[in-house]
Amino acid sequence: MTAQDSIAGQLLVGAQRRQFVNEPGDIVAEALEGLEGAYPRLIRWNREPSFVIRAEPAPAGRVAVVSGGGSGHEPLHVGMVGEGMLDAAVPGAVFASPTAGQILAATQAAARDAGVVHVVKNYTGDVLNFAIAAEVASDDGIEVRQVLVDDDLATTSTTGDGPGRRGTAATVIVEKIVGAAAAAGADLDRVAALGRRVATTSRSMAVALAAGAHPGRAYPSFDLPSDEVEFGVGIHGERGVGRRAFATADELADQLVRPLVADLSIGRGDRVIAITNGLGATTGLELAVVHRRVTLILEAAGITIERALVGPYVTSLDMAGCSVTLTRADDELLALWDAPVRTIALSW
Amino acid sequence: MVDTAFGTDEGAHQVIEEVDGAPTDADAADGPDTTGVDATGSDGADVHGLDLAGASAWFDAFHRRFEAEAAALGDLDRRAGDGDFGNNILSALRRCRRRLDEEPPRTPGELFLGVSHGFLNTGGTSGPLFGMWFRGIGRATDAPVMTLGALAAGVADGTATVQRLGKARPGDKTMVDAMAPATDALAAAVDAGLDLPDGLARAADAARAGALATESLRARRGRAAYVGDVARGVLDPGALTVALFFSAGPPAPGRL
Repeated sequence: MTAQDSIAGQLLVGAQRRQFVNEPGDIVAEALEGLEGAYPRLIRWNREPSFVIRAEPAPAGRVAVVSGGGSGHEPLHVGMVGEGMLDAAVPGAVFASPTAGQILAATQAAARDAGVVHVVKNYTGDVLNFAIAAEVASDDGIEVRQVLVDDDLATTSTTGDGPGRRGTAATVIVEKIVGAAAAAGADLDRVAALGRRVATTSRSMAVALAAGAHPGRAYPSFDLPSDEVEFGVGIHGERGVGRRAFATADELADQLVRPLVADLSIGRGDRVIAITNGLGATTGLELAVVHRRVTLILEAAGITIERALVGPYVTSLDMAGCSVTLTRADDELLALWDAPVRTIALSW
Repeated sequence: MVDTAFGTDEGAHQVIEEVDGAPTDADAADGPDTTGVDATGSDGADVHGLDLAGASAWFDAFHRRFEAEAAALGDLDRRAGDGDFGNNILSALRRCRRRLDEEPPRTPGELFLGVSHGFLNTGGTSGPLFGMWFRGIGRATDAPVMTLGALAAGVADGTATVQRLGKARPGDKTMVDAMAPATDALAAAVDAGLDLPDGLARAADAARAGALATESLRARRGRAAYVGDVARGVLDPGALTVALFFSAGPPAPGRL
């Protein structure tokens, strides 16, 4: 890419951003305060150490479900707290793991008497801090099982070592299924096993049209020329696995879906739950157009989308772009998916 | 001793001198720590272990020295990692201080558990791993005096936990490269029947040697693993911090 291309790309795609922000360092706390004020019947924010917990605790005897991670992915994770999903969510700073101390405090507050499941996206800091919190919680007699979400196909390792695939939008599906199983009274091992099954049979792929900008920063984390897209991006503003030509919604959707179908080895007669997920700045109108194509591709392959979500669920600040997630579905998972849920982001 | 790869890097030299035990400005104000080694009588000759005052003085000395070296350690991290090490550990130590003030410990074990709490509420990955290491030390005994045997067992337990959670082995250019030799030195000191100050001196020597040896290593864990050979020639700040901790240990009364 020439310097001239870069300048042109910046002018067209990555022009200076302006944000609704006071002190950038206060953005997470102020956002939590805002959400608590908006949804007092759903959530309560514990300020220090910072975590969000259900306003009305779940009945005794239930497995508690706790998740968390860096902020900047809203509505994940706080938007998933409520009946039928998470008992508590632990927000870190923007794109940074919460501390082990925060996770421990949330785990202790959420724990009833049947153990706790931690739903953790696969990033080094998150995995370590959740593991530490689980170990310390066991001193209080709280049994914890970790469910690792690692759906991002773009980060499949070819060598077998390294940190493994990143966790992205499949987290929503894992949290829904795990939360429903806990609400139905399943025991700790059963809830964790269901979560792991969903994680194992989920894959996602994302494409960015423009990077997002950190709160308080005027420019996005990378620049894109107007005739290219960043393919295989994660949810932290990092570069993807490669640049591809900008194309129509249908063509880009094809490029997202086909590798998922191949990697999950699904075909005629198989059933899936699908999420066409916005990465922050992409409109609902565009996401619906992408999802139309996702549906057509899978129909042509004989694969049934049993349930779907279309919207921003796991975002990357104000990144423009979308991801597609497919999860293998069966009657048991669909029944858990359909079970009642009442959170900021999901409600049925 | 360490005139190797630092060139004009004043900051790194300073840390090495500090770990080496040379007096620095940080110590000048109040002189070497003479408090805190438990003695059966007032003559201070019989040293069985570490009482609360001793553990408290040890932590204070460690904190003071880290405050003095934080910028230099942060600079090492910038050369091989993401540069947040100095500030993260500094904020952890200050959090430890507040915690110890708010919930005063009654035993040396409780003091190290308070230190652990401060580190576990710190961002990044080094802070929480140190939290689990101090937790191992804190859990070693709830007695009013921590013997060398208890300290050695606690350090061994904490080091094993750090290795398990951090998935790091000796030679990976991490804090484990100072923790593991210190663990071995403490165990050997217990076997040899040494008293606590002598055992700690052995541990400090071993930790220092381990930390200095990280210079030539290629990182296999932690942030520095991402930069490959770029990290060669840079000391690991986590290992240096472990060495700093042991070198801040209370010396024997009458041996100063």
